[in-house]
Amino acid sequence: MNLANWLSPPVLGLALIFIFIILYLFFRYRSFNNKQPSDLLRFRELTSLHQLLQSLGRALESGKGVHLSSGSGGVSGIRGASGLTGLMMLSRIVLKSAKNDRPPQATSGDGILTALAQDTLYQAYTAAGSLRNFDPTQGQVAGITPFSYAAGAMLAAADHPLEANLLAGHFGPEAALIAEAADRSAQLTIAGSDSLPAQATLLAAADEVLIGEELFAGGAYLQADPAHQASLAAQDALRWLIILLILTGVTLKLLGML
Amino acid sequence: MTQRRFPIFLLILAVASGGIVLMGYWVDLPALAAVRSVLLRWAATLTGVAVLVGILNLLYVHWLKIVQPREGGVYSLAMLIAFVITFLVVAVDTPTGSWSVWIFRYIQLPVETSLLAILAVLLVVAVARLVVRRPDSFTLLFVGTAILLLVAATYLPGFDIPVVRSLRDWIVQVPVVAGARGLLLGIGLGVVATGLRILLGADRPYDR
Repeated sequence: MNLANWLSPPVLGLALIFIFIILYLFFRYRSFNNKQPSDLLRFRELTSLHQLLQSLGRALESGKGVHLSSGSGGVSGIRGASGLTGLMMLSRIVLKSAKNDRPPQATSGDGILTALAQDTLYQAYTAAGSLRNFDPTQGQVAGITPFSYAAGAMLAAADHPLEANLLAGHFGPEAALIAEAADRSAQLTIAGSDSLPAQATLLAAADEVLIGEELFAGGAYLQADPAHQASLAAQDALRWLIILLILTGVTLKLLGML
Repeated sequence: MTQRRFPIFLLILAVASGGIVLMGYWVDLPALAAVRSVLLRWAATLTGVAVLVGILNLLYVHWLKIVQPREGGVYSLAMLIAFVITFLVVAVDTPTGSWSVWIFRYIQLPVETSLLAILAVLLVVAVARLVVRRPDSFTLLFVGTAILLLVAATYLPGFDIPVVRSLRDWIVQVPVVAGARGLLLGIGLGVVATGLRILLGADRPYDR
């Protein structure tokens, strides 16, 4: 049988999922049984997320708020993953700033994403013991088309003085409009998206940009539960495996075996 | 006890639904295909409902801005009036009627296009500010590549330099494609990890 036919996309996809699950379970249960954090779970420094953590601390002192835009990609399909990552980051933001006078605001361009944002806020306030500070309108839909969402999020971002403005979700190039509006009211604008056009425009418009998969590392870096750290470690291990596969493929092709 | 049972039910529902849809890509069983088809139809219906939920939330938030007067409340009033007029016109005239199409063509489209025009100007300003704010090698590479691609893509009389055009073609076909593929691979891994965390029940955004 031809090797190229055997390595079809469905087979590779299934293999990828199985390998990820095995790696995830390995990092999740073996490494965390040790008292000392394993070397395998030491990640490289991401300046943008480090700055976000610092700005959450400053927000408590200055009484300024934090705004999160989770994009207009919804929760289904490939675009949904970045929005869900944004929600997880929102949860960490609330846990660190639940006692803040000015509560964090979350805007999105999708009804389900907003409902989940409200649930996330509720859970985070409950976990932080500050449920009386919870207000469902902290999670709101800013618009239901990409540009109307950008216009609504621009208003929300410029509405009050902000310590930090975080864009984490699926955006198009219109994300630059939100970043620009936030630049006038926020000390720091950090942006990450799964879309390459959005990343390109945000590189110019935001203070700090999460490039490529860095957005999906947000959970592990914002000190979320061990599941996120194990997931990121599995992701890193898989990346090396893919690099190895690409190099093997190139070598086999050069040798005429593929 | 009920509070504890309900999240477990949601967890089982989410994991089972996701697992069945995912299995359908590899296992070709008629019964599984039927269940998968029903689940996907429900998902499509829910996506439609999400738009409705979004509109209701939007109206509620803007209504609050009017009844609890605060800065910018006049924009919320304009938004609500525009919504009511559009809703009535589309309800009476149907979504494909001439008045509905007029609203889309002569109000919504120009407004969104003007935002796109603002975006172009804003990006030029943002790049200029980036050079001042972060004058490092990555910024220079970014700005230099953008200028080179713009110059090579512009057909000005007497400005057709073959070397610039060849350089542009090489940049687009080699480093840009390689970089984009690298970024997409990373994003793909992130998407897979996020999806599998939900399927494994490690992430439960629905767990209230």
